[in-house]
Amino acid sequence: MNKNRIYPTYFVFGALLLYVVLFVLPSVVGLGYSFTDWSVYSQEIHFIGLKNFATVFSADYNYLRMLENTFVFTLVTTLAKNVIGLALAVLLTRKVKLLNFHRAVMYLPCVLSALIVGMIFKSVLNPKIGMLNTFLRGVGLDFLASNWLTDSKIAFRSVMAVDIWKGMGYIMTILIAGIMSIPQTYYEAASIDGGNTWQCFRHITLPLLAPTLTVTTVLNVIYGLKVFDTVYSLTNGGPGFATEVLYTGVYKEFGLGRYAVGTTLSTIMTLVMLIVGYFMIKHMVKGDGQEI
Amino acid sequence: MKKILALALALIMLLSVAALVHADEGVTITYMASQDWVQDAEMELAEKFTEKTGIKVDFQIIPSDQYTTLLMSKLNAGECADLFGSQAGQFDIVTQLNVEKNAVDLSGEAWASTVDPLAASETSVNGKLYGQPAQDVSAVWAVAYNKKVFEKLNLSVPTNYEEFKAVCEAIKADGMTPIYEAVSDGWHHQLWFCEMGVAIEHAEPGTAEKLNNNTMKFADSAAAKQLIEQIKEMADLGYWGDNYMANAYADAAKAIAEGECAMTVANQGFPTELNAAYPEFAAEDIGFFVMPLCDNQVLNMNPVGPTRFIYSGSDKIDAAKQYLAFLAEPENIQYQIEKVPKFNTLPFTTAKDAYSPEISAFYAAYPDHGTVYQTCVKYVNPQWMEIGKELVAVILGDQSAEDMLKNIDRNRADQAAAAQDPAWN
Repeated sequence: MNKNRIYPTYFVFGALLLYVVLFVLPSVVGLGYSFTDWSVYSQEIHFIGLKNFATVFSADYNYLRMLENTFVFTLVTTLAKNVIGLALAVLLTRKVKLLNFHRAVMYLPCVLSALIVGMIFKSVLNPKIGMLNTFLRGVGLDFLASNWLTDSKIAFRSVMAVDIWKGMGYIMTILIAGIMSIPQTYYEAASIDGGNTWQCFRHITLPLLAPTLTVTTVLNVIYGLKVFDTVYSLTNGGPGFATEVLYTGVYKEFGLGRYAVGTTLSTIMTLVMLIVGYFMIKHMVKGDGQEI
Repeated sequence: MKKILALALALIMLLSVAALVHADEGVTITYMASQDWVQDAEMELAEKFTEKTGIKVDFQIIPSDQYTTLLMSKLNAGECADLFGSQAGQFDIVTQLNVEKNAVDLSGEAWASTVDPLAASETSVNGKLYGQPAQDVSAVWAVAYNKKVFEKLNLSVPTNYEEFKAVCEAIKADGMTPIYEAVSDGWHHQLWFCEMGVAIEHAEPGTAEKLNNNTMKFADSAAAKQLIEQIKEMADLGYWGDNYMANAYADAAKAIAEGECAMTVANQGFPTELNAAYPEFAAEDIGFFVMPLCDNQVLNMNPVGPTRFIYSGSDKIDAAKQYLAFLAEPENIQYQIEKVPKFNTLPFTTAKDAYSPEISAFYAAYPDHGTVYQTCVKYVNPQWMEIGKELVAVILGDQSAEDMLKNIDRNRADQAAAAQDPAWN
C-alpha cells in the first residue's frame, strides 16, 4: 500500500456525519434535556436549571450509591479480570496437554449472553436449592453456604464474581495473543543468563505486554461503567437497593417516566466516560510515541 | 464473474426477504403481560380464536419483577405490543399509563356494558372504558392457612397481632415455617403493607383522603410505621423462614402441600389451585383470615386487577378488538372461571360465580370492608415495585421504617409534581 497517498478530506465526511448524528447529537440533546423537567406526566417541558443534577447528588436519593457501586464494580472487575486473565494467559501459553481445549473452556462463558449467565447463576446461587450451597453442604462446608444474592452485604460481591467469571476468558484471549507476539529469543537469552520463570515474567512478559494490558484495561473500564445486563438479570438492583448501578437507575427512571432524571444520569456517565477515555487514550498513544 | 456472483447473491437475498414477508399472510397480534397474568385457559381460548378468525395471538410473558419497568419503557418509547396487560385503577391509568394517549377507547364494544360497574369505574377515564378486566377481582389477599396444621396444634384463627404471633410461634416450635413469603418476585411481600391500608384507615380514619389532598404524609401515620415494624418483626423472628428472600410465589402451593409451611398470603383461588396441582390436598383444608397486622379485622377489598388494554399505536387494533370481544363472550368467560382454579368469578355481569361454602363463610366473617391503599391513594401503585425494595431494605436493616415512609412520600411528591397535581403544586 502506498503510505504517502493522500486521500481527499471529503472521504471522512460520511463517517463524520454518521458519528455526529448517531453519537454527538444525542449526547448534546441529552445534555439539554437534563436541564428540563421532561417527564411522561406532562406534555410541557420547562427549563429547571441544575435541579436534576442537585437531585442526583442529593443525599435524599439513592443515586450517589448507584454511582459508588458503578465505580466499585468497574475498579474491582477491571483489576480481577486483568490479573486472572493474565495468570490464565501465562498458563495457557505453556506446553499444556489439550491446550486449545483449556483455552476454549475458559473463553466459552463470554460467548453466552449476560442475561443467560444471569439466569443460570440465579439458580446456581439460590441459597436453598442452588448448586453452590448444595455442594458446600455436601462436602461439610455448611458454614460457607451463604445467601449469595439475597444478603445485602454480599450480593454485590456475588454479582461482581459472576461478571469476572464471564469476562476473564475474553481478557485471557487478548493477552494470549499479546504473549505469543513476544519473540522467543528474549526468553532464550534470559534463560542463558540464568533467569528464572518469575524473572522472565517480571522483566520480559510484563513490560512487553503493557500495551495489551492497557487495551484490556480500557475495554474493562468502559464495560464496567456501563454495566447493566449482569446486574439486571442477577438481582435487578436488589436486595433492597444494594446492587443498583447507574444504568439500572437510568432504566428505572425511564420506566417511571422521569425522562429528565434518567437523561441527567446518562449525561453524568457520558462525562465520566469522556474524562476517563481521554486520559486512557492519551496514555495509550503516549506509549506508542505519538502525541495526542 | 465476481460481479455476476455478487449480483446473483443480492437477488437471492432480496427474493428470500420478499418470500418471508409474503409467507406471513395471516394477522398476528402480540400480547405482552406479566408472569401469572395469562392463564392456560386464555391460551386455549386464543387457539380457538385463531381457528375461528385466523388471527394468531403471540403471548409475550415477562418476569413479574421486570414487567412494570419494561411496559413503561415500551409505552414511553412508543413501541408497545398490540395488547398489553397492566393493573388498572382510576388514578394510575391516568397518571402512569396515560390511557387516553396510549390505549384505545373500548366504550363502543358490545361487551363493554357487561363489565361489572365497580371494575369498569377503575378502568375508565371521563366515562370512557379503556380496559378489559382479566382476572377475578372479588378475591382479597388474605392469610391462607392449612386447617389440618391448626387442628393438630389446637390453634384458632387469630384476631389480632399478638394472637398471630402466638400462632406463628406454635407452628415454628413444631418444626414448620409458619409463613411462606416470596420476596424474589418483587411484588408479593409488599402486600403486607399496601393491602393493610385498611388497617391504617381503621386506626386513623380519613388518612386516604388526606394523603390524596396532600394534607398528610405517610410519614405522619403512626399506624403505617407500626405496620412496617411488624412486617420486619415477622421476618426477624423467623416466621418467614430462612429462604424467603429467594422464594418464588409460584412455589407457594408446593410449600403448603408438602407441609413445609403452614400459611401464605394468597387470594381465594388458592385452595382450588393447590388442589389442582396436589390432588391429595383437599381445597377445603385451606382456610383464610385477614392479615391481622395492626390488629386488623377489616376485609381488604380491591376492585382492581390485571387488565387488558389495546395499544393505541398498534396497526392491528381491529384484530385486537376481535380478540377482546371473543374473550368476553359469556361461554368463554364461564370457560375461564371453570378452568382457572384461582378464579371464583370474573367481573362481568354475565359471569356465574363458583364460590365454595368455605369462601363464602370467610367473606361473611368480616362484615367491615375497606379499599386497599394501592387503589384508593394516588401515586402508590406506580411505585409498587419500589415499595417492595424499600421494604426489603427495612427488613435487612439497611434503613428504618421512617426512612421507608419518607421515601414513599418523596416518590409520591415527585410523581405528583411531574403530573402537575394541583394538590402538590
